[in-house]
Amino acid sequence: MRQTLDAGDGELARAIGAGASEAAESELYRRFAPRVRLYGLRHLRNEESARDLMQQVMLLAIEKLRRGEVRDTEQIGSFILGTSRTMAIAARRKDMRRERLRDAFLAPRGFAEPEAGAALDLDRLEHCVAQLADRERSVVFQTFYAESTAATVASELGVSEGNVRVIRHRALAKLRACVLAGRQAS
Amino acid sequence: MTATCASPIADERLIDYWAGDLPVADGDAVESHLFACADCSARLETVASVTGGLGALARQGRISGIISRAMLNKLQRDGVRVRQFTLDPGETVPCAAYPGDDVVVTWLNADLAGVRSVSLRVTGPEDRVFGVLDDVAVPATATSVLWATPGAFVRSMPSTQLRLTLRSMDDAALLGEYVLEHTGLEAAGGIGG
Repeated sequence: MRQTLDAGDGELARAIGAGASEAAESELYRRFAPRVRLYGLRHLRNEESARDLMQQVMLLAIEKLRRGEVRDTEQIGSFILGTSRTMAIAARRKDMRRERLRDAFLAPRGFAEPEAGAALDLDRLEHCVAQLADRERSVVFQTFYAESTAATVASELGVSEGNVRVIRHRALAKLRACVLAGRQAS
Repeated sequence: MTATCASPIADERLIDYWAGDLPVADGDAVESHLFACADCSARLETVASVTGGLGALARQGRISGIISRAMLNKLQRDGVRVRQFTLDPGETVPCAAYPGDDVVVTWLNADLAGVRSVSLRVTGPEDRVFGVLDDVAVPATATSVLWATPGAFVRSMPSTQLRLTLRSMDDAALLGEYVLEHTGLEAAGGIGG
């Protein structure tokens, strides 16, 4: 087990191809599934779709490794990223179809998304958000909730895009530090 | 694989990537790095967790302060129940939040021509200060300022009169004074929704 945990990504991929171990598959999944989920969140903006993508990509990657169909096992990360990109395109189409159906037949509230921040202490985060300057709070919500680009936020606030990026970065650093401080205190 | 990253992606760049503000080629390069680097992926995970939490707070109506129209549109698209009040300068409007209202948004109409940022001061009886929002930027074309308060907070308030004073941050000029005659749920007879 220790060997599996210490193995490089390429070694794990080769071990799976050689039919060696369930432990290698578990370790590969543990390492890459969160990255695929993040990729999905970034591109699909939906936790449910991101988790579907994660399952599909990792299953396909492990199956291809078992069958020896991954040419360059040393670049397994690139292979998983490429698979994520391809599958995300199909997932996006599916999401668009789903949204069209939702808009046509159902009230929006019936399709409330699962909460992405479930693992976070939301009460603590709310407290941390309240500590931000008004402008910082406005920028992070506009960026990460309303999904406005830096250019849009900059034009709304009458500042430069660079300034928006600085405010955003500073605000997120404060939020992270505040959330961590809350965890350590509890 | 506990090796630390030899060339970590800067925090600013990770945040730009997560916000969708990198050119496609730069975003692709960040993704290639992330799929080869456990350290940077873990750092992005913390960014994603906090920003996901912001979305969760918003969807629960737990937002306070001045919001943009884009924010209001997004809240409504997400099915957040928004109770809205609109006031012109000098106007007094009765208000209350009812069970099921996730967030209360008050539109403060004002002549904002040439105003870049505003301050909003909210006071109760005997000039007791409920809150002050400073240096809130307003878009060039804005004709109103949208003040959001969580519905749960408004419901918890007793009946009271709130005075809202909107000033320009550029020259402290008064843009408008508004009054909300808030009715607490008790006084409203425990409204059932």
